[in-house]
Amino acid sequence: MDTFILMGITGIGLGALYFLIASGLTLIYGLMGVLNFAHGALLTVGAFAGLWFATKVATATNTTNFLLSMIVGGLAAGLIALIAEQLVITKLYERHMDQALVTVGLALVIGAVLAGWFGNDLHTYPTPLWFAKGIKIGTAIIPADRFMYIGVAIALLIGNWALLKFTRIGLIIRAGVENRTMVSALGINVKRAFSAVFFLGGFAAGVGGVLVSIYSNGVSPLIAGSYLIYGFIVVVIGGLGSVPGSFLAAMLIGIIKQYANYYVTGLGDFVVVLLLAIVLLVRPQGLLGRVNS
Amino acid sequence: MKRNLRFSSYTLPILALAFAVAPVLGNNPLSRPGLLQTMGVAFVYGGLALTYDLLFGFTGLLSFGHALFFASGIYFTCILINHKVFVWWLSMIVAVILTALLAAIVGASSLRTTGITFAMVTLAFGEAGHVIVNRNFFNLTGGENGIALNSDRVPQFWIGVVNTKYLYWTALLILSFVYFMIWWITRSSAGRVFAAIRDNELRVQVLGVNPKNYKLLSFTIAGALAGLLGTVMLLLAGSAAPRFASADLTISLLLMVILGGAVTRWGAVLGGVAYSYLTTRMQDFTQSGSLHHLPKWLSGPLSEPSFSLGIIFILVVMFAPGGLSGAFYRLRARVISKK
Repeated sequence: MDTFILMGITGIGLGALYFLIASGLTLIYGLMGVLNFAHGALLTVGAFAGLWFATKVATATNTTNFLLSMIVGGLAAGLIALIAEQLVITKLYERHMDQALVTVGLALVIGAVLAGWFGNDLHTYPTPLWFAKGIKIGTAIIPADRFMYIGVAIALLIGNWALLKFTRIGLIIRAGVENRTMVSALGINVKRAFSAVFFLGGFAAGVGGVLVSIYSNGVSPLIAGSYLIYGFIVVVIGGLGSVPGSFLAAMLIGIIKQYANYYVTGLGDFVVVLLLAIVLLVRPQGLLGRVNS
Repeated sequence: MKRNLRFSSYTLPILALAFAVAPVLGNNPLSRPGLLQTMGVAFVYGGLALTYDLLFGFTGLLSFGHALFFASGIYFTCILINHKVFVWWLSMIVAVILTALLAAIVGASSLRTTGITFAMVTLAFGEAGHVIVNRNFFNLTGGENGIALNSDRVPQFWIGVVNTKYLYWTALLILSFVYFMIWWITRSSAGRVFAAIRDNELRVQVLGVNPKNYKLLSFTIAGALAGLLGTVMLLLAGSAAPRFASADLTISLLLMVILGGAVTRWGAVLGGVAYSYLTTRMQDFTQSGSLHHLPKWLSGPLSEPSFSLGIIFILVVMFAPGGLSGAFYRLRARVISKK
């Protein structure tokens, strides 16, 4: 029973990490039809920016500094996403395939810069002591960092929801996902919403990068590897363009993966892809996605 | 006038012939085993890029899982040989058939989606393949280290450094075969439907043709040919390794096709051969120390081949769609129109 609870909560924690990646991907896709292959690279940018802040600027390891470094990581990744969008993506207006291709190039360039600057070794990320402590739930002892992942993901989900629901730019984004041509026809500058979505997506990925580097015990240009692919799977299963769908799918996948991996090592990845195939066969538009008219 | 614009139909056979006789012509770079091996690998990647062009360029399918079928050809052959199931030739044929089946299954599932979603889904399937060979299920795939090919059970004229030229010729032969097949397919009536799907899928549907069947056909043919190339790659590499199944390999294929130029066939082959050759050589260049006088923040990224590659790739996509072969035809058209 203990392991069952431990696996479940670790799975939710892992799902939280997937959600941080997927939320940006799904919004960017939903609004602009862009598949962002550079999203994994943004995750790494966030991790390194956070590491820089935590080791060079605010060196005392306490909770505040950690949270600050997480925000720095998010801002850095958001900024890079914004620059990339302005410099490259906007130039390929409506050429969706080319936009996807260009982000592949961006991922290569960003990855090469980070590898050139920091090497491929694993750098340890300074974390507050309580991360390593166990928290008792029933009789099971759960590492405390898992709860932090979940907390951050929920905070981001709520923040995302509030932004989309209560602000003007959120309204434009929601309307844009629904019918972009109509929004521009009404004289609203959708391009600003594009930039906002890119920044937000980058921010979430950057925050995710800091968390991933804790989950995988260090920062290197290679940590993003499987997370981008899982991000894609989450986005497809959750339904393209749906943030709550991504949340649901991320949790589902995190949990299923953990349990499957516990019973047979390596089975987790396989089961997730199987799940993807089943969802595509039964419900090609994803759990909470809608069929495009 | 239209005839003049065509790439001369003699150029390619002559070029292939020149490559074929080079190793036995006495003193030239291709008479050394080292370069022969590099070129053999480059030929296989040229063919692989061409199969990717069939998907991406000719049918308009942006698949990120193509490496799966290349790896499937490599792994199935290697497993069948090492476990003494069949002799070499039969193993090769069975591996290609199994790969075609795999491509048909993966294709049937992922082609329920289109466009960008299709790209994501194929990426997931490709990655599943990568994970499976990495995990060493049932002790078949050897995990991260891969499996060495049992060379005793391979026809002996391929084994040993002295015989590298036979491997080279085999690679050249298989590249020519794949080229011929794809030339034939893209000019057949099915090939015309592929192109029509790429240009306007809805119109194909309205004309009473089911695009899905044709897309599946294209996906399966490209997969089977990739599997065939994989069997030759197994000979050249001497082992089956997880890197052949990685998404990075598919992304390199994409780079090869875009940089060489899609839809022209020879563009993809040129892209594949040149990319494979240059990445082998690039490592010598970046380690040569020619970058040492640059400031560290610049020399670091520059010593990563993917840095310059990524930038060139972005520039080509943005400003020179059509890549090398596209630029060639544009130049040629300009020269001819001036006459």
